[in-house]
Amino acid sequence: MKTPEKQIGARMNRVDGRQKVTGAATYSAEYQLPGITYAVLVGSTITKGRITSIDTKAAERAPGVLAVITHFNSPKVPGFDTAGKDPSQPATVGGPIKVFKDDKIRFNDQPIAIVVADSLERARFAAGLVKGQYAQEKHQTSLEAAKSQAFLPTSAKKNPKHPMNDYQRGQVDAYKTGAIKLESEYVVPTEVHQPMELQAITAHWEAPDRLTIYDKTQGTMATRRDFAREWGLPEENVKVIATYVGGAFGNALHSWQHESAAIIAARVVNRPVKLMLTREQMFTMVGYRPYTWQKLGMSATPDGKITAITHEAIGQTSTFEEFTESTLAQTRMMYESPNLTTRYRIASLDVNSPIWMRGPGEATGAFALESAMDEMAHLLNIDPLEFRLRNYTEQDPEKNRPWSSKFLKECYQLGAERVGWNKRQLKPGSLRDGDWLIGYGMGVGTFGAHRGSSKANIRLLPNGTVLLQSAVTDIGPGTATAMTQIAADTLGLAPEKIKFELGNSNFAQAPTQGGSAIVNTVGPAVQEACLALKEKLRTLAASSNAAFASAKKEDVVFAEGYLTLNGNPAARVPFADLLQQVDGGFVTVESKPQGNASKNYSMYSFSVHFAEVRVHALTGEVRVSKLVSCADAGTIVNEKTAGNQMKGGAVGGIGMALMEHAIIDDRFGRYITKDFADYHVPVHADSPDVQVAFVNKPDPYVNALGTKGIGEIAIIGVAPAIANAIFNATGKRIRELPITPDKLLV
Amino acid sequence: MADDNPEINLSEAGGSHNEARRTFLKQSSLLTAMTFAPGPIVQAAAAQFDEKVAAAFEKVPLKLEVNGVKHKLSVEPRTTLLDLLREQLHLTGTKKGCDYGQCGACTVHVDGNRINSCLTLAVMQEGRKITTIEGLANGDNLHPMQEAFLKHDGFQCGYCTPGQIMSAVACIREGHANSEGEIREFMSGNICRCGAYSNIVAAIQEVKNGGQKV
Amino acid sequence: MNQFQYVRPTKQKAAIDALAKDANAQFIAGGTNLLDLMKRGVIASQKLIDINRLPLTKIESQNGSLRIGALALNGPVAEDRLVLERQPLLAQALSAGASAQLRNMATVGGNMLQRTRCPYFYDTAMPCNKREPGTGCGALEGINRMHAIFGFSDKCIAVHPSDMSVALVALDATVLVSGPKGDRRIPFNDFHRLPGDTPQKDTNLEQGELITAVEIPDAPFTKHVSYYKVRERASYAFALVSAAAALELDGTTIKSARLAMGGVAHKPWRLTAAEQVLVGKPATEETFRQAAEVAMQGAKAFKHNAYKLKLGPNTIIQALKTAAAA
Repeated sequence: MKTPEKQIGARMNRVDGRQKVTGAATYSAEYQLPGITYAVLVGSTITKGRITSIDTKAAERAPGVLAVITHFNSPKVPGFDTAGKDPSQPATVGGPIKVFKDDKIRFNDQPIAIVVADSLERARFAAGLVKGQYAQEKHQTSLEAAKSQAFLPTSAKKNPKHPMNDYQRGQVDAYKTGAIKLESEYVVPTEVHQPMELQAITAHWEAPDRLTIYDKTQGTMATRRDFAREWGLPEENVKVIATYVGGAFGNALHSWQHESAAIIAARVVNRPVKLMLTREQMFTMVGYRPYTWQKLGMSATPDGKITAITHEAIGQTSTFEEFTESTLAQTRMMYESPNLTTRYRIASLDVNSPIWMRGPGEATGAFALESAMDEMAHLLNIDPLEFRLRNYTEQDPEKNRPWSSKFLKECYQLGAERVGWNKRQLKPGSLRDGDWLIGYGMGVGTFGAHRGSSKANIRLLPNGTVLLQSAVTDIGPGTATAMTQIAADTLGLAPEKIKFELGNSNFAQAPTQGGSAIVNTVGPAVQEACLALKEKLRTLAASSNAAFASAKKEDVVFAEGYLTLNGNPAARVPFADLLQQVDGGFVTVESKPQGNASKNYSMYSFSVHFAEVRVHALTGEVRVSKLVSCADAGTIVNEKTAGNQMKGGAVGGIGMALMEHAIIDDRFGRYITKDFADYHVPVHADSPDVQVAFVNKPDPYVNALGTKGIGEIAIIGVAPAIANAIFNATGKRIRELPITPDKLLV
Repeated sequence: MADDNPEINLSEAGGSHNEARRTFLKQSSLLTAMTFAPGPIVQAAAAQFDEKVAAAFEKVPLKLEVNGVKHKLSVEPRTTLLDLLREQLHLTGTKKGCDYGQCGACTVHVDGNRINSCLTLAVMQEGRKITTIEGLANGDNLHPMQEAFLKHDGFQCGYCTPGQIMSAVACIREGHANSEGEIREFMSGNICRCGAYSNIVAAIQEVKNGGQKV
Repeated sequence: MNQFQYVRPTKQKAAIDALAKDANAQFIAGGTNLLDLMKRGVIASQKLIDINRLPLTKIESQNGSLRIGALALNGPVAEDRLVLERQPLLAQALSAGASAQLRNMATVGGNMLQRTRCPYFYDTAMPCNKREPGTGCGALEGINRMHAIFGFSDKCIAVHPSDMSVALVALDATVLVSGPKGDRRIPFNDFHRLPGDTPQKDTNLEQGELITAVEIPDAPFTKHVSYYKVRERASYAFALVSAAAALELDGTTIKSARLAMGGVAHKPWRLTAAEQVLVGKPATEETFRQAAEVAMQGAKAFKHNAYKLKLGPNTIIQALKTAAAA
């Protein structure tokens, strides 16, 4: 009996790749339902105030229009009255704003109406006819102007142990008295996720109390919970399908108003309603990375030991939600510094709420920290890699406990070799190729290796294949592929014999995809479900077969149509016999983190990014000519898909460093960057052939698989690596992203 | 109706869909078509069409061939080729990523040339041959470019992928795949927000260097 | 998008007649800008006259010039053998624009007629004198980092986004139009206009006129040419500033020169005074610097686009250097 090759670690092609390359993969606006109708949202053209009237007559009269819904005629949504009032329940159902509930305008382009028609063209035309009249109030959309009103988040005020509180070890602001010190301010502007798939939902009331939505969401179960609560329905009456998600990067982490609006519209017209946002609406309705101001002070000894760091940040939030993120987390644990202070504040603006965008606050914070590391290394005339090594933490200086695993030094070494770090000159502006100045820079990233609880359903099918189901979504990393590999190894079955279904809230409970936690969390559930199935089958086999009765679990082998035993080819029980004994139903297994590992160890993934840039001496154009990303992310389940994720994060980092910048004209409170012509994201020509290397050593504590997570560390640290390389090339230190040519010409 | 009843009270919304529909039809049947000339946005709305008359007026006949299948259609002139493919022919492999010609997700071939289907009216393609991602494979045999995308993992979320593949095939056919740099320049009209660019380029290079007919 | 009538004439005269008698009608060729604007409600034409079936796609050599049909597509023109041999600057400018897909759709005539990319023009909820005369210029006191440094008015500070037109104005091209009153020829530099008090008018075309072709006179600019475009990413973006440079060299001496800029004015910006600086001088960076300085005379920046005062001359220098080295 030939044992299948080990699948974990194999460069397996994606199990859903064929659907994606043939156009057969179905995204949330692509379900063909009988009687489908089309909806288009109308947004407010003012930023703050009240709606005094909405002229809907022309739209209602337009051909094919089935409904025009505003707060004047929107049906009663039961959960709108109760959501947020029960302190035991999460308040977020589309954020605290209830769509079409009242006349208050809190941000520009807030939905004021939804138009439903029998064709997309007719709906879009009619939407253009809806005109709101407003009583305007004075608004504020500039963080720079609102900085003085920044405040400590309420969650921190209420709970002194909350991580958003001020932090200090050693002396407060000790850098100020340091002999060698720097103090710099940094700005990361508003950036927007802008996945390629426009946010879309198809809402279908299959019965007055049964709702099915095909929705772009990162969490089918969270979305189900939100809309069950919104409509006062039992959760089992709401089904959320997200089989394919066309990218999200965080913007589908919670529900938004457009989803509520589509569900209301489907209720009103009593037909399925399809709503796809426009690219303009993707700037205003589904979140963004908040504009964040930072100040970082640092002092060091002449031989390159950091003596103190103070890192402050002010991020923007809306007037109706206190959005926070872990902007200062990396600063507290990355480098040895006996004195360390962090202060995090937020400021309310008349904008929609932010939502975590890939590598969320950590990516913002790392821009300041890793830029400052480069500035200090330059000040000390020490190689920035050497400077980081001199301040390397062998255990977590924030929590004073060991790392569960940390192989960042190995990453440094791998990356430095591949990028050709030895070519780097200490003196900026030393390397030149014709009109192009050449420089090298590095940036470090880290993100918590989170693991939650999850379930998995497993079932042996009559044809000898195994079906696994999970409510988890796949926004791009290749979740089903990784899970198939984990199942294949655990069952000893070829991957072709395993089918992993996901993206359906009726499947086994799984967390929302985000925070680099899915393989960490769902992986163990899949593993344990496979073991449970094996054990169940072994028990069944044992009842009729003596060899199985005495066999060890790990010797049970799946073969073509049979259960057999390693080292005993004579012992075989046909699946058909076993299936007669089981009911053919699913075995459901729940997997939770065990023991005290997460209390005894600090668990993080680590990455380092090395960039080689070319900066045009006359025009300030920047080209990233080399980008090398190295990660200590524990066990790598699939180097092909994991490597792809790393490359993607690096490209996202190029966008962050060089071009991404959503701009509001504060006079109107309205974005002037509204599409991909104004808001640039990297294209093919901006990307070098990104090189990736993994340490690929299992973490002994996060879970049995040894994984730590990749999605966030892929981008955290990339932008400062590029900014530092630009400094090395030009001697110009740009502390406000993005580094566009104009900033390098000044 | 009690608040705790899951049956939602729709009275505030003017009744059920059927009621709304009936009301709408009643209103519109009182009106006769005043004019055949559609106006700009607001004027057009002021004109009150009987639905059937309006529908007949709005649509024009269109013949085109999609993936080898000849279609005789009746479409509104304002329908884009992209919306025709997705919403009427149910060929949803062609994606809408921006609707403004700024992302390339909607790339199809018209008479063999790659274009953005979001920025052309369906009626402008009268008599043309359209190839979409669904028409690229030969039955169950994937096109070499599809195979190469699989092998090199030239995608993540998959949403830009049909456009990338259609563009990649055209890129080679046009003779614009002779170097990594040339591929990157001539593929720049296809944005991949997941950032799988390195893998896409590797896939294109493999197909190009493999010398297979594309 | 509003409803509209759609007609598809196959004869030039029918197309012109259809437009001449309907003030709210519009030609549609590639549609790559018009449909974009119609989707956003910036333009609401009542009638679209699809001219794609008119026989205006030929690229032909004439006595002393190259004639390119108005409906020739940007991509094919950029790779046309005659264009590459005789007007490589035009080929470079075309290739620098948009994407391969859009270049397969956009026509030469349509490229000239594309509207500004000013974000205030694109948003019907913002003031814009070009879109809605009398509402004010949103950019003047707003976010104006992409805006004009030459030839603007207090009514409009938008820039023309075409790359192709920058090359054509440098190459002394002529636009051939046909209208209800007959045919006429418009020197390229007179085709686009400055905003003045009527920014809603981009060009000097008259109602009912159809661009039929563009003619580029033969000139000795077949080798030392460069279209240098600076943008915020490496491809598929509009220019911050671009420069079209063409040199005729006698050894290292400049015999004649052509120079124009994009991204700096309401029209492609020809730099004749700077050209004169170049003539008779050695093709050195110092010469180019002198020309760039002259080119920038009269430039004035707004709050966010002062960088163009430096990027402008540097881009000119870079284009000239690249052209000389070609």
